[in-house]
Amino acid sequence: MNASVIIFYIIAAFILGAGILAVTTRKIFRSAIWLLFSLIGIASLYFWMQVEFVAAVQIVVYVGGIVVLIIFSIFLTQKSGDEMPKPLKNRSIFSALAVLFGFAFTFNLIKQYGFKQIESTPFEVKVSDIGNQMLSTTEHGFVLPFEVVSILLLAAMIGCIVIAMKVKHNEQ
Amino acid sequence: MGIDFLILMKHEWLLIAIIFILLFIKVGSKEWKNESILNLINILLLFNCIVGFFWNEGGILFNEMFKTDALIAAEKNILNLGTYIISLQSYSWLKNHKHVLEFYMLLLSTLAGMFFMISAGNLLMFYLGLELSSIPLAAIANFDLEKRKSSEAAFKFIISSAFSSGLLLFGISLMYGATGTIIFSELSQQLNGSPLQIFAFILLIAGFAFKISAVPFHLWTADVYEGAPVAVTSYLSVISKGAVLFVFVSVLYEVFKPLAETWYNVLFLLSVLTMIIGNLFAIRQNNLKRFLAFSSIAQVGFILIGISGNSQTGAASVVYFVLIYIFSNLGAFGVISLVSALTGKENIDDYKAFYKTNKLLSWVLAISLFSLAGIPPTAGFFGKFFLLMAGAGQGNYLLITIAALNMIVSLYYYLKVVKAIFMDTNETPIEKITIPSLPKLALFICMAGIVLTGLMSYVYEYIFSLISAF
Amino acid sequence: MSEITVTHILFVSTALFFTGMYGLFTRRNMITMLMSVELILNSVNINFVAFNKYLYPGKLDGVFFTIFVITIAAAEAAVAIAIIINLYRSHHSIDVEDASELKY
Repeated sequence: MNASVIIFYIIAAFILGAGILAVTTRKIFRSAIWLLFSLIGIASLYFWMQVEFVAAVQIVVYVGGIVVLIIFSIFLTQKSGDEMPKPLKNRSIFSALAVLFGFAFTFNLIKQYGFKQIESTPFEVKVSDIGNQMLSTTEHGFVLPFEVVSILLLAAMIGCIVIAMKVKHNEQ
Repeated sequence: MGIDFLILMKHEWLLIAIIFILLFIKVGSKEWKNESILNLINILLLFNCIVGFFWNEGGILFNEMFKTDALIAAEKNILNLGTYIISLQSYSWLKNHKHVLEFYMLLLSTLAGMFFMISAGNLLMFYLGLELSSIPLAAIANFDLEKRKSSEAAFKFIISSAFSSGLLLFGISLMYGATGTIIFSELSQQLNGSPLQIFAFILLIAGFAFKISAVPFHLWTADVYEGAPVAVTSYLSVISKGAVLFVFVSVLYEVFKPLAETWYNVLFLLSVLTMIIGNLFAIRQNNLKRFLAFSSIAQVGFILIGISGNSQTGAASVVYFVLIYIFSNLGAFGVISLVSALTGKENIDDYKAFYKTNKLLSWVLAISLFSLAGIPPTAGFFGKFFLLMAGAGQGNYLLITIAALNMIVSLYYYLKVVKAIFMDTNETPIEKITIPSLPKLALFICMAGIVLTGLMSYVYEYIFSLISAF
Repeated sequence: MSEITVTHILFVSTALFFTGMYGLFTRRNMITMLMSVELILNSVNINFVAFNKYLYPGKLDGVFFTIFVITIAAAEAAVAIAIIINLYRSHHSIDVEDASELKY
């Protein structure tokens, strides 16, 4: 047991605890806050793995973007103090059983597979490498996915504007 | 690189060019009338459709992220043609819609996503193509902005597609962990049939099954089909399903060939369940859109039999059937969208004695339903025949028997609709509908397609000759 | 137990994946369903980064996959929330059960 191992266990417990609370609390606003904590935990897991760039993206996009969007929409559409109705007992028991079974099955397979780690090559993600590869057309270049994603974002933006735009009723 | 890069990605370039033309018209200051916009777009789409047939070459770009060959080009042409027909059919609905330009921008970007997905040579491009073809589609499912059903359909669609892509992604990530690559050609060499790989692969298939709405992943289908605007429903049931089926075939046949035994069993199970459940539910429906939703689930069951054939015949029969399915399903949807745009009626009971007032439309609907049911002179018969032939190649006659029984059941409910149209009496039949010229053209194309693809054996032979993988 | 291997990280991500699943099965409110989907996508991202770091450090495939998944998740959330807001405006409730004018 050294410090890094202990930190990992703390982060893991934090992520899972916050995640479970996020899907079980009955107050919707608290649920969003637990989600926020879980996402921050994941960002710190990336920091722990020394993949700082992804950690930064995680914080900027998820914590700063998506969760804020979710909280805004909660304020727009809900009375935030209200409790959500309890899920049906049968449904939650069956879901819990199914999920536990699925988890046990999946993790058992993963454990049996026994991934072999490669210790020799150090892994470092330089931001300049990511930038170069993102726009390079040669081998290991990701310019085509980059362009496809930009079309997707354009389309999503147009879709959101049309759907969420307030319709003016022309009453004389 | 250079000029061939323009030619190989021609289908995608054209679509993106059209999207940007529409975007510039939208942000420009000039106000256009809906009719002139629709005419312009239909001309552009026709141009797009025609150019698709020329200068088709095979090749690989961007480090195997994008590949194309004669078969892929043919598949893209089929999808282009289907989109053109849908665009013609939705004329009456869009004429009075406020957001025509946005509708087409989103529609065409989903089509571009399907093209990228069909051409994908690695898992990343495949995933991005899949998402590009489903997220904007959820937005246009909500384009009947005031209708509650439409928004619900859109939400159900986006959540179920997010769930399915979650499954798919989990499968992809395990696959990446087990093989160390995301490029298809390297992936297929790394497959060794270990339990984790098979599990990851089954998650992948589950993701696919969601998109083609195979049972038990079909729960979203009927609601979404009923709630979304008819144009979007027909697009969902024909084009996006067709595109995913094309990719499914090429992924199974080329990438996951080493796991052929596994996926044969999975497909066997899926196709039996899909046919039976689809048919049983189709019998009970009274709303025509829901009816077509369940009957299209049943059709997917037949297509899965063809895929399970794992041979050149299998691949060819699937492409051929999707082509026929586009014509026949769009024929049926064309009539329904005309009727629902003008009268708002969508129930089978409303269609009683439809023949008394609308002779032409009744015949179109009847021929399309005959073709969907697979009654001999129509193309649908040959399509199903080739699918079953391909499936029989594996020697599993139990599957073929179940399929044959299901065909008889499906005959019953298709004929029930035809009977309602021609024989039943009704005090208040749907009044006479004057068909605008563009939808009329679309119906004409569908009818010609149903008759010609069935009678000309050349079409099937041509598709067969394109498939060189075996 | 003295060292963290990739299997430990996979335990976290798999557990998170199924937590998200549980949320999706039991929740009836649209926004909370969306949150569950975000958890599922995040678990996949952890997988990709962990595999890339510990198993295949030569190329950056996993990291790039993660970045693209994050982008897509953002687009998806935006569209879903736009739909939710439109739905709320038209009938003032965003519970799936309230919204069940459509049946299975």
